[in-house]
Amino acid sequence: MAARLRAPGFYRATMAAVLGVAFSAAITWIVRVSTGHATFTHYLSGDAITTVSLIACPLFFLVGLGAFDYWFYWAAGRPTRAEDHSSHGARSWKDYFRVNTDHKVIGVQYVVTSFFFLLVGGLIAMLMRAELAQPGAKFVDANTFNGLFSVHASILIFFFIIPVFAGLANFVLPLMIGAPDMAFPRLNALSFWMLPLGGIIMLLSFLAPGGAFADGWTAYTPLSTTAPIGQNFFSIGVQFAGASSVATALNFLVTIITMRAPGMSFFRMPLFVWANFSTSLLVVIATPFIAASQFFVLLERALGFNFFDSDKGGNVLMYQHIFWFYSHPAVYIMILPGFGIISEIIAVKARKPIFGYRMMAFSLLAIVLLGFTVWAHHMFTSGMPAWVRIPMAITTVIIAVPTGIKVFSWLATLWRGVLHLDTPMLFALGFITTFTLGGISGIMLAMIPFDIHVTATYFIVAHIHYVLFGGSLMTIFAGVYYWFPKMTGRMYDERLGRLHFWTTFVFFNLTFAPMHVLGLQGMPRRVATYASQFADLNLFISIASWLLGLSTLVFVYNIVTSWRGGPRAVANPWRAMTLEWQVSSPPPIFNFDRVPTVVGGPYEYGVPGAVHGIFAPAPQPAEVRTGAAGNVPVPSGGE
Amino acid sequence: MPKRPLIITISAGVVAIAIGIVLSYVIHWFPVAASTQAKNTDDFYHVLVIASIPIFVLVVAVILYSVWQFRMRQGEELKDGPPIHGNTRLEVIWTAIPSALVIALVSYSFVVLHENEEKPAGREIHVAVTGQQFYWDYKYPTPVTGGAPLRSYDLYLPKGESVVFDMHSKDVIHAFWIPAFRLQEDVVPGITTHYRVTPDRLGTYPIVCNLLCGVGHSLMRSTVHVVTPAQFEAWIQSQSKVPSAVATG
Amino acid sequence: MEAASIAHPVAHGDHGHEGEHHGPPAAHRSSRVDPQMLGMLLFIISEVMIFGAFFTAYFFIRVAQGDPWPATGTKLPVAVAGVNTLILVSSSFTLHWAESAIKKGNRFGLKAGMLTTFLLGCTFLFIQINEYANIGFAPQDAAQQTIFYSLTGLHGAHVTIGLILLLIVTIRAFRGHFSPEEHRGVEVPGIYWHFVDIMWIVVYTTVYVI
Ligand code: HEA
Ligand code: HEA
Ligand code: CUA
Ligand SMILES: [Cu+2]
Repeated sequence: MAARLRAPGFYRATMAAVLGVAFSAAITWIVRVSTGHATFTHYLSGDAITTVSLIACPLFFLVGLGAFDYWFYWAAGRPTRAEDHSSHGARSWKDYFRVNTDHKVIGVQYVVTSFFFLLVGGLIAMLMRAELAQPGAKFVDANTFNGLFSVHASILIFFFIIPVFAGLANFVLPLMIGAPDMAFPRLNALSFWMLPLGGIIMLLSFLAPGGAFADGWTAYTPLSTTAPIGQNFFSIGVQFAGASSVATALNFLVTIITMRAPGMSFFRMPLFVWANFSTSLLVVIATPFIAASQFFVLLERALGFNFFDSDKGGNVLMYQHIFWFYSHPAVYIMILPGFGIISEIIAVKARKPIFGYRMMAFSLLAIVLLGFTVWAHHMFTSGMPAWVRIPMAITTVIIAVPTGIKVFSWLATLWRGVLHLDTPMLFALGFITTFTLGGISGIMLAMIPFDIHVTATYFIVAHIHYVLFGGSLMTIFAGVYYWFPKMTGRMYDERLGRLHFWTTFVFFNLTFAPMHVLGLQGMPRRVATYASQFADLNLFISIASWLLGLSTLVFVYNIVTSWRGGPRAVANPWRAMTLEWQVSSPPPIFNFDRVPTVVGGPYEYGVPGAVHGIFAPAPQPAEVRTGAAGNVPVPSGGE
Repeated sequence: MPKRPLIITISAGVVAIAIGIVLSYVIHWFPVAASTQAKNTDDFYHVLVIASIPIFVLVVAVILYSVWQFRMRQGEELKDGPPIHGNTRLEVIWTAIPSALVIALVSYSFVVLHENEEKPAGREIHVAVTGQQFYWDYKYPTPVTGGAPLRSYDLYLPKGESVVFDMHSKDVIHAFWIPAFRLQEDVVPGITTHYRVTPDRLGTYPIVCNLLCGVGHSLMRSTVHVVTPAQFEAWIQSQSKVPSAVATG
Repeated sequence: MEAASIAHPVAHGDHGHEGEHHGPPAAHRSSRVDPQMLGMLLFIISEVMIFGAFFTAYFFIRVAQGDPWPATGTKLPVAVAGVNTLILVSSSFTLHWAESAIKKGNRFGLKAGMLTTFLLGCTFLFIQINEYANIGFAPQDAAQQTIFYSLTGLHGAHVTIGLILLLIVTIRAFRGHFSPEEHRGVEVPGIYWHFVDIMWIVVYTTVYVI
């Protein structure tokens, strides 16, 4: 037992977490005793201890888990042992439950964890729809309902969409660019393990006295600064998600810039790599703003600072500017990787080169730039100076142009191709339809006089889900089916896959299309009960949404059973050209025994004799040679 | 490539667009329009819909046509499509047309916005609106009452006269939304926000708090009564008599 | 959940084993910039954005809202902070000295330089805390005081992080790490410390001087 407690792992981690609580109690006590400050009336305050524990326990837990061991070792200046890759790769399922530095393992850890959060967030949505099925309070009181949609959105945005993309990229991206691993494997492991902790914090808020945080995922002040303790679970949970995604983004950028295979110039990179490059730029630049906004909220709540308290010269709108300066770019963080996935799938499944490759890459960068100039389109009715609306509306509509370039290029790629209409392709095509609808409703929202009527109504809720579910989630499903053989070495069940697509596509539209009408007719969002005139449509929506939920179960069933017992996958079931398909499924523990050499573009389908990468000396793209390899260690975050 | 399917698809698309536009007029999207601004906004909405339908139909039509014509047939398992890498002409077209379209739409939106917000000729009254968890109250200043300012929980407005709401909040952010007027603005602690409206239809319409303000948010409702100027004056007089100046009705 | 184990079937397992002992192939270097250095620069970018957000708050209170600065009835110890600025700036130079020393293989210069840099940093932090103790207003008073404490406090936090990095470098220097060839471990924390200095100059001029 004692040995177990000393060795890194869950025992040590749990013990450390408990220590964390004690530590927090001690700290708060010391501070309160030493500073006899007016704001600290009692020496021991439950709220204070909870808040500090929320920060301390996860960190202690990570230390216990062993996420920092190497760095401590290295910082102390001890002669660091030569890298023995003991923390790399998975030989049994246990290896998925420890700090692992293999980008493939981390990728799977990410994807599985975030899909767990999808199920939770979705289940919460089911409850919301039950409450909204009829007017009047039915199952939950207003406060609980506000908590439900707040957690629903926060979990799905910060702990599903953003990390699941990071997970897929983690698995695929190093393979695609011919790298043996990410640039900083240990940092990579750390950024994964912050994720479940943050998500659990947010879910725990339901147990907090006064209920979960209940002011939406936007947490506008002063409502959030005066809310019960549950709010801190949001403010702190978000910090972990944010730190995690910044670290991952750094990792992706450095990996893409410094570790591409010989011959892989920027304009030979698959568009999925381009997409993650752009996304990572957004993350690195924008995420600090939400971190800051939540620091402000915490400081105001915990220590009585006055950022937003208008009686003490604070400024309420300042919060919204800082929040949206992150959260608008965040919506592109949540769609650009999807664009990348779709580009891969469309090219492979239409057996044609992607149409207008360079414009596809440039439009991504254009969206990144424009994304920083539009945040106040969420604030048209916020009471900010009226003139600010004009430039923001212009920049907002212009984003339709680069996005349009992508949509039309996909359509042109389909043209005269040989379409393999299997599950990934179906989801890709479904995505283009639903996302176009969501995008167009977005353009309508950029039209100020119209937005003034529909802002904060169900029209917005419809837009949200058309772009996030019909957009991001569709691409995620497509990507998961597409790379499932590579990640697990098994084939999924095609029949169930199609069933999943059709049920999802149909019930998705039945659920969210009517919400446009509700909004126009004047049903506000974020209400626990509503005027009886909206009853019929809401009942219809609720029923559709439950069927949508069940359709997700088809997916879960398909993935679980196929992973355990599906037929073995060959190295390259889709006859794709990008490098990840040129190694075995699942890939060898160090990806490549020889780093491949890139000799052509990634999408040269139909070009006679074209290859993307070759494994000198044996130029057979489809099969890998195993055996001895150079003994140079992976570049590591340490030295 | 066979001509017939193309023709079929195009004509189907045109029909779809036509149906879509007709529907957009048949479906009654909005609550009754009770202000001049509301009429402008509704017309503008129809412009937006008419502009959007063709784009959506185009995208869907191309997808369906490709699925119909270019799907993999028996024996094509190993076949590849023609290696087309791009076409500058096309790319210029689908950059230029959307740009022109969105710029046109957004400029039109500014025109409508200006119309809705500029001060019309004739008398204009101010009403002070106060939001707090979880109810509204209203204050008619001296220029309107002709006597002492009048505080009320009911909002009465004279038909055909321009009104400016001067709004402030006592606690958290609320939003003063009158769906029948198609207008709203947040009510923010620390600052006073405004908007202008000209009611032009007699009747009683709901007022909705449209910004999450806490437990009572979904119940923070009120009503606006649009009455004739004569009735309005009468109501003002009757209220000024009531000492507590708190009307119910 | 043992389904997960399938991700590396035996077939690849033992192959992987072999691979494990030999390690992976060397990653191809597709860029001249050094990964650690690039990582640190990108990290500094997001740090700059954090400060950006705090300066946005400052902008809204002082410029957009036009509140008096510093808050009426309070005054900021410009002179003391000025001296403190000099201390921090000089620490950048001593750090540079340490770096150039190790490049020339002068171990003593490295140790001495790192030590003085570290001590100068500590002095800065001490004076800063002392300033808080005697400044005569609290962040709870009003928005301006909040902003003052937040900006200087945020910077203080970064000084602390910087000091931890410097401490690590110093320890390793005394334990005989680093050589004219291998001194990345000094440079990478080095740029972070320079960033902290530059950031202070910005904070000092915006908060104290103008
Ligand atoms: C993945 C997430 C995602 C994406 C990609 C988008 C994309 C867009 N969004 Fe959306 N948005 C959200 C997520 C997203 N949004 C969320 C979550 C909210 C609510 C936040 C909250 O309050 O809770 C929101 C709210 C929101 C608002 C604020 C509404 C309000 O609160 O009053 C606005 C207003 O301008 C807006 C606009 C847009 C625009 C113009 C785009 C554009 O990028 C869309 C561009 C795409 C297309 C236009 C379609 C494809 C293009 C073509 C086929 C070419 C031809 C088209 C034309 C010529 C029009 N969004
Ligand atoms: C990625 C983002 C994402 C996703 C995937 C979803 C998915 C869903 N959302 Fe969510 N939603 C948001 C992001 C998202 N939402 C955001 C940002 C908001 C704004 C919040 C705010 O105002 O602050 C919001 C708000 C929001 C509202 C408005 C709340 C309000 O304003 O009052 C509603 C109401 O119907 C809703 C419904 C749904 C439904 C039915 C689904 C369904 O698609 C869910 C389907 C999936 C599942 C159900 C999971 C899998 C199924 C199971 C686990 C089995 C259990 C099922 C059964 C037993 C039937 N969402
Ligand atoms: Cu007041 Cu919502
Ligand atoms: Cu936005």
